[in-house]
Amino acid sequence: MRWATRSAPHVDRTACAWLIARFIDADAQFVFVDDPDDVPADATPFDMRGAELSHRGGECSFEAFLHRYELDDPVLWAIARIVHEADLNDERYDAPEAPGLDVLMRGLSMVRADDEVLALSAPLYDGLYEYLKRAALLGREPA
Amino acid sequence: MSVGQWVLLAYRLPREPSTARIALWRALRRLGAAQLLDGLVALPADSRTREQLEWLADSVVEAGGEATVWLAQPGSAAQERMIAARMQADVGAEYRKLMQEAKQAQATPVGARKRTLGRLRRELRRVRRRDYFPAPEREPATAAVDELAASVEQVPA
Repeated sequence: MRWATRSAPHVDRTACAWLIARFIDADAQFVFVDDPDDVPADATPFDMRGAELSHRGGECSFEAFLHRYELDDPVLWAIARIVHEADLNDERYDAPEAPGLDVLMRGLSMVRADDEVLALSAPLYDGLYEYLKRAALLGREPA
Repeated sequence: MSVGQWVLLAYRLPREPSTARIALWRALRRLGAAQLLDGLVALPADSRTREQLEWLADSVVEAGGEATVWLAQPGSAAQERMIAARMQADVGAEYRKLMQEAKQAQATPVGARKRTLGRLRRELRRVRRRDYFPAPEREPATAAVDELAASVEQVPA
């Protein structure tokens, strides 16, 4: 399946792309556009104005994906809180990781092409997932 | 003198429910947007401010209102200076409040000083994010918080 989002992906879009590839569509292909009108007819848009899989009711697009695909893995929701704060910074959640993740993703999008940004950020989200999973099992920060 | 690129949000929201109005007002305040008119706000344009105003436009539409996002240039440098000065003054007042709190905290016991330091650092970070035209108060406010941090460090554990 093809998925479309805005170019120069930062934290919410990179996290969504990772979520799609790992949990929703193993054959996902991503298209980057500058205007919602340029989304190809066969692609599902996300994190863009007017898209269903986008910001809704004060939530970021990553949270919209978790709702829409009924992903109730608590580790994904822990990632959602970090992505929410990195993207919206509205202090709904206590996520000290958020400013760091935001800066890393913004910086990455300055030096690499859009598809490379997705390829490079995916292992970071894999790592974040593993870390938060271990933290949940241990009940403390894993070494 | 050349003028910069701005992003504008023009919106109309129904009076009820007031929760949507309050949420929008809070978000605009957090962004440090300049209110040009009732229902028209402006921010210097960059990828973040543009994106944030687009999300707010969506939230206005979701709440039953109307909203459009525009990229614009002020018609004159003088107009731009006027808006920028107003934004700078708003942020400057926030820095002054921070500075005052940091100085007052110096007289409190070390435990209270540590808690105040954490809060002021977070607040400073918030204010810096909306300080688009670096206010002159930025440096002294940052210095006052740094001094508070130094006074906490000097106390043996």
